[in-house]
Amino acid sequence: MDFEYTAEQEQFREELQEWLEENLPDGWTEGDRDVPDDQDEREQFLRDWQARLYEGNWAGLHWPSEYGGRDASLIEQTVYREETAKYHTPQQINAIGINFVGPTLMEVGTDEQKERYLSNILNGEEVWCQGYSEPGAGSDIASLTTRAERDGDEFRINGQKIWTSYAHYADWCFLVTRTDDSGLKHEGITTILVDMDQEGVSTSPIHQASDEEGFNQMYFDDAVAPVENVVGEVDEGWDVVMTLSSFEHGTTRIFSIEQRYKDILEYCKNNTRNGQPLVQDPVVRQELADLDSRIQAAKVSHLRNVSKQMETGMPGPEGSMDLVVADELANDLENFAVNILGPEAALWEDGPEDGQWVRDYLQTYGSWIAAGTGDIQRNIIGERVLGMPKDDKSQTSHREES
Amino acid sequence: MRAKLTDEQERIQETAEDFLESNGGIEFARREMEGEDVVDEVWAEISDLDYPAVTVPIDHGGLGEGMVYLSALLEATGRYAMPGPLPETAAVGAPLIADLGDEDQKDEYLPAVADGDCRLSVAVYNDRNESLPAAVGADGEVAEDGSVTISGTKTLVPYADAVDEVVVATRTREAGGYDGVTLCLVDPESEGVSVEALDSLDRTRPLYDLELDLTVPPERVLGPAHGGGSALERAADRFTVASCAMLVGAADRAVDMSAEYSTERTQYGQPIGKFQAVKHRTADMWIDMQSARSLTYYAAWALDADDPDATRAVSAAKSYAADRLHRVFGDDMWNHGGTGFTWDHDAHIYLKQAKAWRNFLGTPEEHRDRLIEARLSE
Ligand SMILES: Cc1cc2nc3c(=O)[nH]c(=O)nc-3n(C[C@H](O)[C@H](O)[C@H](O)COP(=O)(O)OP(=O)(O)OC[C@H]3O[C@@H](n4cnc5c(N)ncnc54)[C@H](O)[C@@H]3O)c2cc1C
Repeated sequence: MDFEYTAEQEQFREELQEWLEENLPDGWTEGDRDVPDDQDEREQFLRDWQARLYEGNWAGLHWPSEYGGRDASLIEQTVYREETAKYHTPQQINAIGINFVGPTLMEVGTDEQKERYLSNILNGEEVWCQGYSEPGAGSDIASLTTRAERDGDEFRINGQKIWTSYAHYADWCFLVTRTDDSGLKHEGITTILVDMDQEGVSTSPIHQASDEEGFNQMYFDDAVAPVENVVGEVDEGWDVVMTLSSFEHGTTRIFSIEQRYKDILEYCKNNTRNGQPLVQDPVVRQELADLDSRIQAAKVSHLRNVSKQMETGMPGPEGSMDLVVADELANDLENFAVNILGPEAALWEDGPEDGQWVRDYLQTYGSWIAAGTGDIQRNIIGERVLGMPKDDKSQTSHREES
Repeated sequence: MRAKLTDEQERIQETAEDFLESNGGIEFARREMEGEDVVDEVWAEISDLDYPAVTVPIDHGGLGEGMVYLSALLEATGRYAMPGPLPETAAVGAPLIADLGDEDQKDEYLPAVADGDCRLSVAVYNDRNESLPAAVGADGEVAEDGSVTISGTKTLVPYADAVDEVVVATRTREAGGYDGVTLCLVDPESEGVSVEALDSLDRTRPLYDLELDLTVPPERVLGPAHGGGSALERAADRFTVASCAMLVGAADRAVDMSAEYSTERTQYGQPIGKFQAVKHRTADMWIDMQSARSLTYYAAWALDADDPDATRAVSAAKSYAADRLHRVFGDDMWNHGGTGFTWDHDAHIYLKQAKAWRNFLGTPEEHRDRLIEARLSE
């Protein structure tokens, strides 16, 4: 057991810190962190940041160097998450491309696909979205119905996707389709790379509970994709879906949750209620301490998973624990943050930080659902980790079962 | 950075589990509960395996290991609620003697501890309703020659009639907190000491009252007069982490029992593990157990490394384990239905243990308060 970072890991941290200090937008490190509200301006802002990360060789630090990555170890990736959380760096607009699509193509893509797509994913020139969910297929992703029909050298695609994050920015979609429905429901699925810039593809933003437009509806109306855009084998896309999902587990949010906790603790130190600092209120203290210990537990559990993965080379189903724990922690933490505001908690845009506290609180309900709900993660833990009996009906249709 | 037990630590954990499993597992604990005196038997076995030697320094015949190693071991013994004062001896007594003792004391006691010939316990509470450090009563007086006269009752002393020496904490100078505390080694069979058993909730870990009316000679006083407090506080931290480690091991077994039972027991024509109410409850038990394990390992490491984060880490582990693992044991009982509520099933053994540990060495509420204080003074 050793929670001390090595000198090399610390050097990696310093290098990253120096780069961030120099390259984050003006005023950012001093706490002036403005991201434009206007959708177009925001897109440009985020694309610029993505390009900058690429120039610094930080975009795909976990990518192998043969694809332009940095070959960073899991510990270095951990350090990266820790530091970028401390600096509150802007989100990566191409997170889906870099974290999921790219690694999936490296694993199961053809040489031509790797050649054609990987470098543009990394440099952020082509932004990706992930078209899985449908109105009738969420947790039960295998019941999807968006059809892809072979038509000469092309597939012709019809159907609807929903809750697609980044679709309004995306140039390409990693799409899951049905090509055959004669067998079991997880058979006859095909994953295809679809160009968003064509007549047959349209998106419309969905107004979220957090008052933002982060995800979308997507309609495919005789959209086309050449057969060479199929990833893996036709009708065998379920395996590809599983491959992609396995990458989702390595992306813990625990470090940004920890950072957020520290900010809230500062707030409790510096603000009073009825003449008493919030940190002297016994109930507030108990809650703060409870959150503190849960965050510490989640962080160490994540580090234990990372250490284990470094030995086995495989992200185990334990990753489901990281997801469940982080989602619940984030929700409890943001909920607590709004609660301690007192009567001011009733305000939105006129509340603290122009409503950001309330938006963050609301946003945790979305995160809770986004990567497969806690219920689905608990099924995975029960069945895969603890060997409990499977529900026959839900067998092999869990979104995150990987 | 390597958040993992070493291969050697994993090995000792596995051997300890194997040893207990092949020696009847929880039967030791059950026999202790029935009032049989099994500590001698247990101690003979575990001394052969060097468990009491774990934290004794190498130059005094021990293995010279710290809390991480000991936690790994206690986790394994906790799986089967192994009786005996191993945490008292290895987490509290031996390190206190190693830290505070003079050369004569170290030579006298430490090799004997390592060989299994000297078992240790600790007496701190004068008042069953107070918390540490206030519960350390002002019942001691230091004489000019350095001897300490103690007259008072220590309570909640684990295994007092099965150990060779008890580290007794007495307040010898009026002061707050941990100041003014003096530590002495007292043989519970010596004159001026009477030992009385208490009927405790957790009968695998008996507690005693110690009636003291004696003068402890200077060679049995540990460390400076009035100055044992900070060492006692760290010892309490080690004891706390040790208790967390045992409960984590117990929780690990509780999760296993629930998962296994859920595939065997059928109701409504299917194994109950298919019901998500059961599956999800068990998944949550596992998450809580793993989280408590993470906190325990981290706290153990922080103590070994003398990390500035140690206080916070220990209090995080204790408050989390006390609350969440208690629920794990309750849920295990629940998952087993009527069977779970019977004496024959093991669930109650762990549940009682968790309840008995809850307020010992600080309630979860007090530990959360301590944690936040540590945070604020960062
Ligand atoms: C912010 C956000 C971003 C998203 N981004 C994307 C994206 O980029 N691409 C994409 O494809 N999708 C995306 N999604 C969709 C997301 O993956 C789905 O919402 C999620 O998988 C749940 O599906 P559902 O909404 O259909 O809910 P349902 O599956 O209908 O679930 C409803 C409720 O039933 C429970 N439930 C369902 N099945 C089971 C079961 N077997 N056992 C126990 N309980 C069950 C669920 O836990 C939930 O509480 C996003 C969602 C959100 C909120």
